Amino acid sequence: MIKTGITLCQFLVLLFYFPLHMALAAEYTAHGIVDFRVSQIDSLDKGYLTSGQGKLGLGDGLHFSVAQIGADLSISWENGLSAHGVVNAYPKATSDGESTVLGVTEAYLKYRSLPTSSGYRFQTKVGIFYPEISLENNAYAWASKDTLDSSTINTWLGEEIRVLGSEFKVTRLGRMNNNKYDLSLSATAFINNDPAGALLAWHGWTISNRQTLWTEQRAFPWFPARADGQALAGQADKSDPFFELDHRVGFHARGEWKLRGKGEISAGYYDNRATPYKVIDGQYGWRTRFYHVGARWRFSKNLSLTAQYLSGDTLMQSESQVDVVNNDYASAFVALHYNWQAVVANKKHKSTLRIEDFSVTDNDDTWGDNNNEQGQALTLNHSYRLSKPWFLSAEFTLIDSHRPARYYTAQPVDLIERQWQLAARYFF
Amino acid sequence: MVSHPFLLRSALLHYCVYISSLFFISLAAWSVEACSKENATCVQIHVKNVNNNPLENMVVYIEPLMGQVLPQQSKTVEISQHSKSFIPYISVSQSTAKVNFVNNDDITHHIYSADSENKFSFKIRAGKTDSTAQFDHAAEIAMGCNIHDWMSGYLLVVDTPYFAKTDEQGLASFTLKALGKYRIVVWHPQMRSENNRMIIEKDLSMGDIITFTLQKNMDDIPVQKSDDDFDFLSDY
Repeated sequence: MIKTGITLCQFLVLLFYFPLHMALAAEYTAHGIVDFRVSQIDSLDKGYLTSGQGKLGLGDGLHFSVAQIGADLSISWENGLSAHGVVNAYPKATSDGESTVLGVTEAYLKYRSLPTSSGYRFQTKVGIFYPEISLENNAYAWASKDTLDSSTINTWLGEEIRVLGSEFKVTRLGRMNNNKYDLSLSATAFINNDPAGALLAWHGWTISNRQTLWTEQRAFPWFPARADGQALAGQADKSDPFFELDHRVGFHARGEWKLRGKGEISAGYYDNRATPYKVIDGQYGWRTRFYHVGARWRFSKNLSLTAQYLSGDTLMQSESQVDVVNNDYASAFVALHYNWQAVVANKKHKSTLRIEDFSVTDNDDTWGDNNNEQGQALTLNHSYRLSKPWFLSAEFTLIDSHRPARYYTAQPVDLIERQWQLAARYFF
Repeated sequence: MVSHPFLLRSALLHYCVYISSLFFISLAAWSVEACSKENATCVQIHVKNVNNNPLENMVVYIEPLMGQVLPQQSKTVEISQHSKSFIPYISVSQSTAKVNFVNNDDITHHIYSADSENKFSFKIRAGKTDSTAQFDHAAEIAMGCNIHDWMSGYLLVVDTPYFAKTDEQGLASFTLKALGKYRIVVWHPQMRSENNRMIIEKDLSMGDIITFTLQKNMDDIPVQKSDDDFDFLSDY
C-alpha cells in the first residue's frame, strides 16, 4: 500500500508540477459524466461489490443511486503534449452497497506527434492508464457509451486491469497513403498489476459500471480455503489489483485495422509477468495472460455492431511453488446497436442488444476453492437523447450463471439474476 | 421633453435605404468577375466526366505563358472547420493572398499539413480565426486535423488570379486582362491522372470555349464524418 501510494504521489507531483514550467499556451478542459439511476434488482442479498456472490454490483431490491460522478481533466499544449487526470466517485446507493468512494482512476502524460509526410504518427503515454482494450468504455471517465453497465469483459478490465507504465503507439494514416484504412500498433510496458486475476477467480465474471480506484482494495466472497490452516489462509481480506510485487515488467501489445467509415478490427495480448509464488502483505502475484480480439462495424447508417472476445489464464502458487489457483477464463459479447433515425427522423433514439457468454475453468486441486463458472448474459438498452448533454436510458440485464462456489455460502449454484434500470446521464 | 419614437424610426429608415443601396452596389461590383460569350476576353472552361456529364467543384486555373500582365487577387480565402469537417473541402488562393482558418465548432481543432515543403500546424480553439499560416508559392496542400482523423481538406495555392471551381454545369468562366498563350489546368485531388490534373496549353482567342473530358472515373471523395456520432468520446 505505502509503496504504490508513494508512486502515485510522485507521479501526481510530476503531472502537475511539470506543466507549470511550460512556457507554451495551455488549454484546460474538464469533461465528465454524472449518472443518476434507479435500479430494481432480483438477485442474491449481496452484489459482488460488497463481497457477495451476486453478479451485479448491488444486491436484491430497489436502489436509488448516483452511479458515477466522473471527471476527465486535461491540460494540452500546442506542441502535442497533454496531461490527463481522471477522477471518479461512486456515492453509496440507498438501501445497499458499498460506502462512498472517490479517487483517481487514471493519470498520465501523453504526447501525440503530427503525422510525417508519409502518414506515420507516433504517440506515447506515460502514467496510470487502461491498456487499450475496451471497445465499450470510450466515453469520458471510461463510462460505457451505449449501455449503463459494461459487459463482463469490461467490468473485469475496470476492476483489475490498470497499469503504471508507458505505451508507444504508431499509426499509419491511410488518407496520406491513398488507402482507405488506417493501421496502428501499440506496445505497453508496465508494472503495478501483479494481483490481477484474483477477483476474477473469486467472484467470477460480473456486470456493473464500477471501476477500481488507483490504490483501492476490493472485497471478494468467503470460501473455505481461506480458513486457518488452509491453502489460502495467508491471503489478505481484500485484493489490491494495482500492487507491484516483484518489479518484473509486464507488457501489452495491440494492433488495429480501421476501415474509414466502416469500422475496425483489433487484437492484442496482455501478460503481467507476475511471479506467481511471491506474496507481500497477503497479496499474491497472479501470473495473468490473455489475448483479446474485437470489432466495431457499421452495417448501415443505422445498424452497427461491437463484439469482443477475451481469453486467457492465471496462475497463483504457494511460496513453495505449488499451484493454488490455476484458471483458464474466457468471455465474449456481441452487441448490436440500432439508431432509430429512419423511423423517428432524428438521431435521438438508440437501442442496444448485447449477448454474452463467459466461463472460468478451474485447473487446480485446491480444496475449498472451486473457481469454475459458466454463464450467459443479455442486456437490452434504449437511450433517448433529451438534449445535448442529457441521455435518458432504460436497461434490462439478465444473467444466467452456474457457479459451484456459491455452495460455500449456502446459495444456489445455478442462478438467474435480473436487473431493471432507469438512468439520466449528464455528459459534459 | 418627450421624444417621439415614430419620428426616430423614420429617421433610421433613411439610413437603412442608404446602407442597403450600398450593399446592392457592392454586389454588382463582385459580379463583374463572371463573363459571357459577348465579352471579348471571356474564356469558358467545361469539365466533363468519362460519361460526358458535367463535373462540379473541379478547380480550373489559367497561367500565362507569354508574360501577360496579371492582376493581384486581394480576396481573403476562408477555410472553415464546421461539424468536424473542412468547409469547403477544396479552397483555392492566389499565392500571397491571406488565408483565414475559422473554427465554427465548439471544440478545438489541430490543423496541420504534413507535406515536407509546406509544413504547418496550429491548434485553433472554438470560435477563433487563425491567419498565421502564410502561403507564398504555388502548392497543393493536403490538410488534416490531428484530433479528428477523418477531417480532410485541400488548399491549392496558384500563381495566377485566374482560378475558379466549376459550377453545377461543369463550367468555369474567366475574363482575361489580355489574350495570348496560356496554360489551362484542371485539378482535383481525386482526379485519376498524373498529378491529379489535366493540362492544355493554348493561344486563347476571343470567346474560346475549352472542354476537358476526364479519361477515368474520379476516386471517391472522402467522407468527412466520424464513424461514431457520440459527442462525449474520450480519446483513450
